Amino acid sequence: MTRNDLLWVEKYRPKKIEDIVGNEEAKASFVEWLKSKRRTKKAILLYGPPGVGKTALVNAAAKEFGFTVIEMNASDTRSEKAINEVAKPATAYIALDSFSVGSKGNLLFLDEVDGIAGNEDRGGVGAIVKIVEQSRVPVIMAANDPDLDKLRPLKKVSMLVRFQQVRIPRIIVLLQKICLLERVKAEFEALERIAQNSRGDVRSAINDLQSLSEEDHVLTLQDTVMLSSRNKDVTMDETLRAFFSAKSIEEVSTLLRYSSVDYDDFLLSVSDNLPKRYTDPDELATAYNFVSQADVFRGRIGTENWHLLKYFFNSLAEAAAVAPESYKPFQFISPPIRIITLFWTKGKRTTLNNICAKIGAQCHVSIEIAKHSFIPYVKSILQKQKGGPIASWLKLTPEEVDFLIKMGRF
Amino acid sequence: MAVTEEALMWVEKYRPKTLDEVVDLRDIVDSLKAFLKNPKTMPHLMLAGIPGTGKTTIALCIARELYGQNWRNFTLELNASDERGIDTVRERIKDFSRYSRAGFGNIPFALVILDESDMMTGPAQTALRRIMETSSRTSRFILICNQSSKIIEPIQSRCAIFRFSRLDRQAMKEHLQNIAKKENVKLLPEAAERIVDFSEGDLRHAMNALQTASAYKEGVVDEKTVSMVIGEASPMQVQKMIRKALYGDFMEARKTMYDIMGSFGFSGSEIIRQVQRELFKMSDLTPEQKAELSNIIGEYDYRLTQGANSDIQLSALLAQFAKFGKSIEESYDAQ
Repeated sequence: MTRNDLLWVEKYRPKKIEDIVGNEEAKASFVEWLKSKRRTKKAILLYGPPGVGKTALVNAAAKEFGFTVIEMNASDTRSEKAINEVAKPATAYIALDSFSVGSKGNLLFLDEVDGIAGNEDRGGVGAIVKIVEQSRVPVIMAANDPDLDKLRPLKKVSMLVRFQQVRIPRIIVLLQKICLLERVKAEFEALERIAQNSRGDVRSAINDLQSLSEEDHVLTLQDTVMLSSRNKDVTMDETLRAFFSAKSIEEVSTLLRYSSVDYDDFLLSVSDNLPKRYTDPDELATAYNFVSQADVFRGRIGTENWHLLKYFFNSLAEAAAVAPESYKPFQFISPPIRIITLFWTKGKRTTLNNICAKIGAQCHVSIEIAKHSFIPYVKSILQKQKGGPIASWLKLTPEEVDFLIKMGRF
Repeated sequence: MAVTEEALMWVEKYRPKTLDEVVDLRDIVDSLKAFLKNPKTMPHLMLAGIPGTGKTTIALCIARELYGQNWRNFTLELNASDERGIDTVRERIKDFSRYSRAGFGNIPFALVILDESDMMTGPAQTALRRIMETSSRTSRFILICNQSSKIIEPIQSRCAIFRFSRLDRQAMKEHLQNIAKKENVKLLPEAAERIVDFSEGDLRHAMNALQTASAYKEGVVDEKTVSMVIGEASPMQVQKMIRKALYGDFMEARKTMYDIMGSFGFSGSEIIRQVQRELFKMSDLTPEQKAELSNIIGEYDYRLTQGANSDIQLSALLAQFAKFGKSIEESYDAQ
């Protein structure tokens, strides 16, 4: 579905501060802090939901004001040792040439600080606090959820700037701009739907727009139907890519613990994409066996046994690492195949079962036999005769007849 | 309760009403008639065999022979696959079976027809066994099942067991032709052949396919229409899915699986039971291969009950089939 190789979120990443949509107040206080010569706090913590422009703001501002960004994000190990190795040298000196060529020197950017893990990144938070205290350069942190206990020491030494969801109309305007540049024709209602569904997340809105638009096709409201079924999985593609290209079980386990993707969506997406990853039947069978095990653990976890989550992760990790040497990049299957079967909501299953029970009463069969030995035929007959005497003999209501006639056409 | 209006599904319309009308099951009918000469000596019965071979029909005929027009008043007809728990046995069956019908007619007992009784849970079967013992003066049971081996021994030993074998191709063709004649439909011989091939001895599927095909084209049923009708039916789709997987086209197999789930509304476990059933019909596999595949199915059937997403378990099963298919191919290459 992708029209060209470049992701639109990359292509249209804001290059200047003014390109960032929304959050005017937050932008202003950040810029003021960054520009000031004597900062009351040496660090600043930008927090708010994903995809509203925190990272983009840091990069755009650094460019405008001439800072060099030294970044550490969740994909880097952030233990005390690692932080001291990377961040300390970067923050210890002001660049010598800062006055001559307009460079303001370094800027330390710690993205996704709420993703600092307890065990693997042991001592990480403490190390950051120390660096902030000694730093001679601006330290910027970003997080989605600032309420975590472990972040408390960071909040103490930082100025807090809150980002909010971007308002829907502003997202629509942005989408319209992109449509124009990409020569995509789209109904206003479709863009509105994409914007609403993003819940103020610009990145996911752009991703959705790209995944839904096709060449020579007007994007309609109808095309956006599948959006409702997926939660905000902005990081899904990235997680999948990292998952399938992993070299070892350990790598995958770490990835899964960091990733914010929904477990259930991820499990389904792994299943969807598995045959594209493993084209050899033996490898596929082995990998699917692990995915099947992961699903069993997911079933046992249910809503309360979360202590079993590690087994779920382990099984998935094993599925990723069946044959690291055979990995070749491939185009992911998305949206989830499952959407086809989403038609069968609980209510519709009940309707079908009620119909089957009526058939069972008249023809002396169980619901299950009615489902496979009668429904396909009765459906065809009803489609052919538009209801008629058989429907009334089976005591089907008009709604049930309608249901059967439409069944299997989506 | 009595249904006076004429049945419109042909399976019901042409279901034999008396044992004399049952033409193809001579041996079974003759021994049953011997029992019915003196109904008081009739034991509990177990009718076992593959679907669509006349077990339910025979049971209903017995009810009519025993009680005549008012058979429904003396008969409890239950489908164990719909209500298979111990509660059903304890409440409905127990209540119905234990009070006496003496004085309401010539037959001193009521009749309980338990269809698909092999789907009953173990505890329910144990409870049933007790009830069969204690109510033997007031009730008779007819247990219908696909596999008698799934019924616990103590129940089997209390029943006279009748085994229904696959219907003879010729008899089936004649049967279909008779119905077509009565419905004023011309059933072309090759179309009849196609239906018989497809239904594998399951008369229910055969008759439903015939009726559906006749709804498509006025007055004549030809092979083309039949092919279209049965191509849409789930057994063909399930076989298609199995074959795709075994021949290594996993993506297509999985797509077919989602199509089947989408267009028929089957649950995962319903599909897996159909896979089991269709597998045994497939003539291109040896008995050993079928047994091996059946073991794999069993494993995933179990995982399905434990897991969270039945489509993932089914996909994993298809992946195992693809691997199995590859190993068959390699063993041929080696020879």
